[in-house]
Amino acid sequence: MLVLARRSGEAVAIGDNIKIQVLEIKNGQVKLGIEAPEEVAVHREEVYQRILEANRRAAGGHDIDLEELASELRRWEGESKPQDSTE
Amino acid sequence: MAEAAMQLEESSATMIVKSSRFGAMEVDPDRVITMTSTMPGFPESQRFVLRQHSSKSPFMWLQSVDNPQLAFVVIRAALLVPQYQPELPVTALRELGEDDSKLDMLLILSIPKGKPEQMTANLLGPLMINSATRRAKQIMLDPSKYDASWPVFEPEQA
Repeated sequence: MLVLARRSGEAVAIGDNIKIQVLEIKNGQVKLGIEAPEEVAVHREEVYQRILEANRRAAGGHDIDLEELASELRRWEGESKPQDSTE
Repeated sequence: MAEAAMQLEESSATMIVKSSRFGAMEVDPDRVITMTSTMPGFPESQRFVLRQHSSKSPFMWLQSVDNPQLAFVVIRAALLVPQYQPELPVTALRELGEDDSKLDMLLILSIPKGKPEQMTANLLGPLMINSATRRAKQIMLDPSKYDASWPVFEPEQA
């Protein structure tokens, strides 16, 4: 891993068109400004990680009875519908 | 003779998708959905087909074309959580094609084995599909607003 020390206001350039600037350092938190082309996806790492974990869970070889689940869902929707429903 | 050849061509135009769940499925290649960016955790699967579980079921299967083992249970977001209308990043949507009237939002469900009542929906990473371009993308939203494991059967957390 490349390690660079930067002060507030200084930046790091990655390739020709990505720039990451340290905007503010306060209370143990660093605020970064990121300039990157539209097609480069930038996310907080933990968002990616959470979605990855959720995807893995969702893909985990479930042999589920979807018919039963559908009726459970309908039953639940029926119960949770507001009482004053005009339907 | 020419007719037979044409028929042959036509029938070879459907592709066979192998699935550990559904066996060999005959699929119209026009119905294949391509991810514009891979789904986190499954970089090998770029192409999927959407399969209705049954005509009356709200659930659908998102079966990977590239990995027979991989299938997700999905549901239309509007059906499961009508109040869920996240603001979607414009740049992500642009990848799917210009015509955004054809956009569908699906939620990926996690259903723990033997505990369907603990089913969760991923509201942090909804799946957007443009039915005109057949392009799809799992969108990443703000984790301070949306839960990747939203419990479906506990309405107070909506």
